[in-house]
Amino acid sequence: MYKLLLCWRYLCTRYLAMVCIISVMLGVATLIVVNSVMGGFSTKLKDRLHGLLSDVVIESIDPVEGFHEPAESMMERIRKSPAGPHIAAMSPSVEIFAIMRYRNPHSGRSITRMVKLVGVDPALQKNVGGFAEHLQDESRRRNPHFDLPKEALDRFWARQRALPELPAQPKQPIDDDGIPSLPRINGGRKWEPQPPEAAKLDKPPERAVPSKGIIVGHLLAHVRAPDENGVSKDHAILGLGDDVMIYTIGSGQLEPVFDQFVVSDYIKSEMSEYDSMYVYVPLEHLQHLRTMEGRVNTIQIRLKDYGKAKEVTETLRGLFPRYDTMVLTWEEKQGALLSAIRIERAILNLLLFMIIGVAGFGILAIFSMIVTEKTRDIGILKSLGASHWGVWSIFIGFGLLLGVVGCGLGTVLGLAITYNINEIEQWISGKTGSDLFDKSIYYFTEIPVDVQPVNIAVILLGALAIAVTFSILPAIRAALLHPVRALRYE
Amino acid sequence: MLVAKGLHKSYWRKRNEVRVLQGVNLEVHRGEFLGIVGASGCGKSTLLHLLGTLDRPDQGEVYLDDERIDNRPSHHRDKLRNATFGFIFQFYHLLPELSTLENVLSPAMIAHSLVGWWKNRRELRLRAESLLERFGLSHRLKHRPSELSGGEMQRAAIARALITKPRVLLADEPTGNLDTETGGEIVRILRDLNQNDGLTVVVVTHNNDLAASCDRTVRLVAGRVEGAPFPVVNAKAG
Repeated sequence: MYKLLLCWRYLCTRYLAMVCIISVMLGVATLIVVNSVMGGFSTKLKDRLHGLLSDVVIESIDPVEGFHEPAESMMERIRKSPAGPHIAAMSPSVEIFAIMRYRNPHSGRSITRMVKLVGVDPALQKNVGGFAEHLQDESRRRNPHFDLPKEALDRFWARQRALPELPAQPKQPIDDDGIPSLPRINGGRKWEPQPPEAAKLDKPPERAVPSKGIIVGHLLAHVRAPDENGVSKDHAILGLGDDVMIYTIGSGQLEPVFDQFVVSDYIKSEMSEYDSMYVYVPLEHLQHLRTMEGRVNTIQIRLKDYGKAKEVTETLRGLFPRYDTMVLTWEEKQGALLSAIRIERAILNLLLFMIIGVAGFGILAIFSMIVTEKTRDIGILKSLGASHWGVWSIFIGFGLLLGVVGCGLGTVLGLAITYNINEIEQWISGKTGSDLFDKSIYYFTEIPVDVQPVNIAVILLGALAIAVTFSILPAIRAALLHPVRALRYE
Repeated sequence: MLVAKGLHKSYWRKRNEVRVLQGVNLEVHRGEFLGIVGASGCGKSTLLHLLGTLDRPDQGEVYLDDERIDNRPSHHRDKLRNATFGFIFQFYHLLPELSTLENVLSPAMIAHSLVGWWKNRRELRLRAESLLERFGLSHRLKHRPSELSGGEMQRAAIARALITKPRVLLADEPTGNLDTETGGEIVRILRDLNQNDGLTVVVVTHNNDLAASCDRTVRLVAGRVEGAPFPVVNAKAG
């Protein structure tokens, strides 16, 4: 009892103890804020990395040629394998690098971009995730498709009407393939921009444009630039209903193939690497274009329980030829980046824990002073029958109490800063006139935070351990003081 | 009751050995009021510390009720100091962070575990309050030592020494820091405790009044008890 009482009284009366508390508090608060913000960035980044990837991906070693086995047959084998019961959905796709060419309506010049062309079956792709939920047109998220929305269709037909009659179309490598095509509108001619109000439809189109719509990444279709108020905004350079040319290579002969598509929607995963690279077209059309009917180069799999990923990948690796096929989880696919994030976070934590380590040396110095100051009191306690252990416990308890109070205040301060970090950032930016968090760099609308109770528990335990550890030496010194010498101490 | 046999004790000061006690023999009888007198530096306080197990002799033995106590393990000697001996010091040695009542209760807190303290707290508090009332400090329960006078602090220290109902009270110059009148008051209290409560009191003093009120007085000279090994000056004790 006397230990608790004295710990408490020492805490209340020794102002030097406040220095220890403040140093522990600041260390803990800093760790909580940095961990939560880094956790927020990390979680957001992981979500985005996972955003367009399914849980498990089976890829062909040769993306141009793809699997030699038809996709249906492969999926049937997967379903019948021991991994089958763990699989919630599968989606075959063709992923190939391509060149996309379109016209910038602002400059009138053509833009040519390297893109990753993905042929998917939207209904199946929806089930493996990472597609439908990122479509800009919310109405097609439930039932994703490549058809043009009415306004895009109107825009398309209006522009087509406004153009003069064209000479014969250039020869296309793919034609009369059973899939109805859109009429060509820029067959080798300079494309003059038409103001939308000038384009009038004589009559609305009598049929919807089937299949050959394309869904493009948000950053392929927009540029981010400051408006007249200096606020960064996305400006469209590729509108719905605009047409684009896609150039890629065919399977087998490696002949160039190209086709024209009309933009039917955008996809925005908020991962700039994806949004500036990915374009989606109907799977069947791309297979036909590349002369690889029935075959794909990727099968995406969503699992019922991601915890079974290792078991499933092991099974699938045994199912397909090891040197033709790669079976990877999304984490393995992004392994380098995820490892970099983990290492960066671990190093930062280590460095920040050194801040509390510095606070620990403060505790050591201040406790040594307190032990010297309290030498006579230690002698009194021993004359009253307090044991070495009892005296030791007082100072360890004092260290623990300082740690607990410092951690408590640090947690409150850290969480208060974490939960109000965007307001604080705005306030500081407002006062200093400089943008602390440039949204155009991070591509986030606000500073993301992710408060993990486990992380906070680890921080608090670490801080308490440091506070107690640095109290041990002064406590031992106090415990070993000779009572008579302590009583006579001046 | 309390017997010292051939106690030797030396201290080292800057590589020089200072022989404080050189074969002290002493017997303190049950219920006795024993005074230890002598010149400064003759080893009076050292003898008191050895008797109360605050220190260990280099040579010699200390017995309490025929049981040797100087060679007991540390935790046994801690218990003896807590429950069997009560200490009073010249400079009171109250803990400055605690109130008068808490200071008085501190040996009881040391004696009890947290649970034991919680169970007996009312009883112990009542005993502390009654002791403070007995010594005229019932209005000073919540005052800190810095708010008390010298006499009040020494009375509080006596109350603290008595809280665990010790059998022997060891007082090291209890009036040494007080004026004559206040010192006389402390002498009366100690005498009263000896006579009415039957407490064995060993007091180290320079105060002639206090020495005169003792049943027996032994003088230390150059680290030895002057005269016979067990001189009996006052016939009352024994």
